[in-house]
Amino acid sequence: MNITILLKQHVGGLCKAIVTEGQEVKRGELIAIPDGLGSNIHSSVSGKIKRIEEDRVIIEADEKQSSKYVKIKVYDDYLESVKAAGVVGSGGAGFPTYIKLNVNLENGYVIANCVECESALHHNIKLLEDNPEIVIKGIKYAMKITKAPKAYIAIKEKNTKAIDSIKGCLSGADDIEIKKLKDIYPMGEERAIIHAIFDKWLEPTQLPLEANCVVLNAETLSNITRAIENRKPVIDKDITVVGKIKGGNKAHVLFQVPIGMPIANLIEKCGGIDGEYGEIIIGGPYTGKAEDINNAFVTKMSGGSIVTIPFPKYEGPVGLLVCACGANEERLRDIAEKMGAEVVGVVECKNVIDVRGAKKCKTPGDCPGQAQKIMSLKKNGAKRVIISNCSDCSNTVMCCAPKIGVPVYHHTDHVFRTLDYPLTRRLSL
Amino acid sequence: MSISAEQAAEMKNEVAVVCCRTEEGTVIESAHLEDPDIFPDLVDSGLLTIPANCLKIGEVLGAKVTKTIDSLTPLTLDIIDGAKEIEEEIELVEEDEKAVLKYNKKAGETINIEDLENPMHFDKLSDSLLLDLDDKVLTRKEVVGKKLIKDVVALTPITGNMLEGYENTEKEIDEVSQIPMSSRVLKIKIDEGKGIDIEVPLGFGDINTSTIEKSPSLEVVGNATEEITKEENEEIVVRKLIRKHFKIDEVKFGSETKIEGTTLYIREDICKDAIEVEKLVTDMKIDIITPNEYDQFSNTIMDVQPIATKEKGELGEGITRVIDGVVVLVTGTDEKGVQIGEFGSSEGILERNIMWGRPGSPEKGEIFIKTDVTVKEGKGMERPGPMSAHRATDIVVQEIRDALKKLDEDLVINTDELVQKRRPGKKKVVIIKEIMGQGAMHDNYLLPAEPVGTLGAKANVDLGNVPVIVSPLQVLDGCVHALTCIGPASKETSRHYWREPLVLEAMKDEEIDLAGVIFVGSPQINSEKFYVSKLLGMTVETMDLDGAIVTTEGFGNNHIDFASHIEQVGKRDIPVVGVTYSAVQGQLVVGNKYMDAMVDLNKSRQGIENEILENNCLAYEDAVRILYMLKAKMAGEEIIAPERSWNPDVKLNNINLIEKVTGKKIEIAPNETSLKMSKKRREIYEKDELEVAEEN
Repeated sequence: MNITILLKQHVGGLCKAIVTEGQEVKRGELIAIPDGLGSNIHSSVSGKIKRIEEDRVIIEADEKQSSKYVKIKVYDDYLESVKAAGVVGSGGAGFPTYIKLNVNLENGYVIANCVECESALHHNIKLLEDNPEIVIKGIKYAMKITKAPKAYIAIKEKNTKAIDSIKGCLSGADDIEIKKLKDIYPMGEERAIIHAIFDKWLEPTQLPLEANCVVLNAETLSNITRAIENRKPVIDKDITVVGKIKGGNKAHVLFQVPIGMPIANLIEKCGGIDGEYGEIIIGGPYTGKAEDINNAFVTKMSGGSIVTIPFPKYEGPVGLLVCACGANEERLRDIAEKMGAEVVGVVECKNVIDVRGAKKCKTPGDCPGQAQKIMSLKKNGAKRVIISNCSDCSNTVMCCAPKIGVPVYHHTDHVFRTLDYPLTRRLSL
Repeated sequence: MSISAEQAAEMKNEVAVVCCRTEEGTVIESAHLEDPDIFPDLVDSGLLTIPANCLKIGEVLGAKVTKTIDSLTPLTLDIIDGAKEIEEEIELVEEDEKAVLKYNKKAGETINIEDLENPMHFDKLSDSLLLDLDDKVLTRKEVVGKKLIKDVVALTPITGNMLEGYENTEKEIDEVSQIPMSSRVLKIKIDEGKGIDIEVPLGFGDINTSTIEKSPSLEVVGNATEEITKEENEEIVVRKLIRKHFKIDEVKFGSETKIEGTTLYIREDICKDAIEVEKLVTDMKIDIITPNEYDQFSNTIMDVQPIATKEKGELGEGITRVIDGVVVLVTGTDEKGVQIGEFGSSEGILERNIMWGRPGSPEKGEIFIKTDVTVKEGKGMERPGPMSAHRATDIVVQEIRDALKKLDEDLVINTDELVQKRRPGKKKVVIIKEIMGQGAMHDNYLLPAEPVGTLGAKANVDLGNVPVIVSPLQVLDGCVHALTCIGPASKETSRHYWREPLVLEAMKDEEIDLAGVIFVGSPQINSEKFYVSKLLGMTVETMDLDGAIVTTEGFGNNHIDFASHIEQVGKRDIPVVGVTYSAVQGQLVVGNKYMDAMVDLNKSRQGIENEILENNCLAYEDAVRILYMLKAKMAGEEIIAPERSWNPDVKLNNINLIEKVTGKKIEIAPNETSLKMSKKRREIYEKDELEVAEEN
């Protein structure tokens, strides 16, 4: 089987391959190093380098694979271990963790992001239910590295089983505190968490550091533990596979899947696609991207793989309301096209701010009002709108669009209809 | 016991265990598999351990066994070759919700269950103006399997004009909506039944005019029709039966059989005549037992019979005379002293072996005319033996009946009138009573000329045990002469039918329309059991019932046909309640999915057949529970499954519930613990407990 390891699995530029075609590599062996901002990349399998392309290394994996791996060097400094192991944010952003941790937080906090707010994903909560220790150890290492005296575990209040299992593991330690958050999207966004814990909105341009804290995802924390205790590089990924799959639309949580594995392979392993499908989304319903099933591979950042039902056909004029919390314009255009609709207008939510080329929301989960935007889309001739808003903003849209006769799709509808999850619309009062 | 192909298909998701030794190379069929219903018992008794990797029935059918295995071996992949995956059938849920397409579909395609959108999204989609679920939208159950006649995109509600073969319905709806509202008159013709034409001015009575104006549709007409029929349909009296009671407080032997005042004389030499007529009867004695002689020994009580005769009309109507204060007990043995009774017998001290107060029992204070019949050796277990004992007794009773007929009207102490009513518009219900018909003493004479007589009657075994429909009044007028000799505690004696509490309560119940009583025999052979149950199924199919009750007497073998009767009724979509003694000893040996509303008649403390006459028979308290169970089922309420093992609290809880709802106290009949201990109880049934008590 061919394993395709992408050379960009993080924020920054492409890594530089340090192997040559035909070379034998072992699982855990370093195969690419950063060229500028980036993070080390290791082989997740033992095998032969088949081809090196501009953005990827293709490895022909040996038939027999073991779970053993080449360990990273022994370092005195925890931070060096994290750097050598190639740990990056596993929640989807992929920011190199050693950079994040290279701060002094003597009066600050480590925040463990266990919110997993993309409702289709389940692997973080499952990890916390089954093995909270590995995450809590990661928190303790992060506290040591940053000298932070205190840590918070941010988790949705509905995940009672995971909360119980964390509590059991904390055994009364008072430097780590559980913060229960509401079940609302995008509660897991960094600044939304900081707002929920400290009641303070950071400007989109500000980093968590300015609130004297660092936010790390649960799986990232477990990778810190693995790097320090087992000297294991990041070569495996937890992932949720779900959707229109034979056997039903229940989530399959796969722990520690080798990075570079074709997504098609994972779906097959879970039962295979059940008949016709709409698209394959890599990531969550809100922020994930549709990818070509034949060109999608597990990376350090992949959270989920969702097979959706086909799109409902609508061959009329639509308007797009773009939000920084959900799909971007490109993704909304993609969805409109798949429905067969013609895009006659695009507007951005008032709260969208452009930060160094990325869209950010000023106050994720706190709506600035949408009536004006919807009116303008209608004026442009939109007979329906497709929106990509968070829970609160979608609620606002629902309070105006239908009243002026404009039907509303949310870009997650086809995902949630696949999964039998509630659609993103009005919030209950 | 192995299962049928049908059962296997139904239970494809149950684990697969072979019922018998299975040779290497055998291709697994349903006949090789044990019935999963008994697994809990097998597991409990340590006969079976089901491994986690045990295959399912659906997986092993058609697969080969790779090594010879013994009975009760769970099938796993290491001994099975060619296991297949079970194809999941999707079942339609929320069938009355509106049908909305989930996928874009083309003309000519059929709508399957999985093509329908989950109703959980309807509110939000409607709210978003993406759906408009008006009255024209069909329900999920209406569209599944239908073919589309045009291309329809996802999230479109399905209406009749998109489907093949739906024009007619639409037209009907149109016609209704054309009812001239200006005239404010709704014309309805009821074709079924009497073909009545009704004209009702709108705005009267129970008809909700606003509904009609808002959405004229067939449904509304349906409701209106119902309301009107209810008003029109008052109770109909079908027939009446009058019982005249005559008091007897002394029974003596005399030169002729006669009644003088309140004294009954029985001809001294009457037994001789009876012995002469009945070839198999070698001896017969009559004992007159007064209340202070209840401590005497008696052979097994084969039957308890009222003494009654027709004054006017045929059995089941007109006037019947009955003697109060005296009952007939048929008892007997063969020449070797073997009791005439197959599954238990009630011989012993009378007052310790009779459960007083049951419908089928003698009452405390009554005088017993007890025949003690001796039949030829070995004939007690063959059909002619017990029959001649009964007929011999009936020679005596017939002479008393004749005397009763002659009595002066002045001697009537009490008259009651039993009225059979039909209640059109109410839930139409039938009571199906399974009666013994396995030959030997398991038989019943049906429809004699005299109440509980033998002359003119036919034995249900001779009738082939097929279903026989009688009126409730025929039941109460003694149309069954019971030869039943199954376990004394659960057999229904002739007097039981005479006072059948379920029939009495059902007749009284104003919420139901009791159509009749069906007797069906329980034959000996399994194939015959299914023969009669199939006939029963066809019988009830013609009756357009809203509900049915199936009762049985005894337990064990007859539960096979009992279960089959319930299945035959249930599969015709008739809500059905099953009634039997079950508890500990009488646990059902078979079952099916229609047996989800069962009433246990047990009253014994230990849940057993302790050979106390009539102890576990259907009593008033049971009749109340049965009717409430049926009403709950007819109303579509959920009936909670009981625990796996017998728990008497289930019954008490249900009685409490009924008392709470009705505000009426239901007296629980006392059981054997109110009696002095019989020999069998002391030496068999309660022996262990007594020993423990003594040691302590």
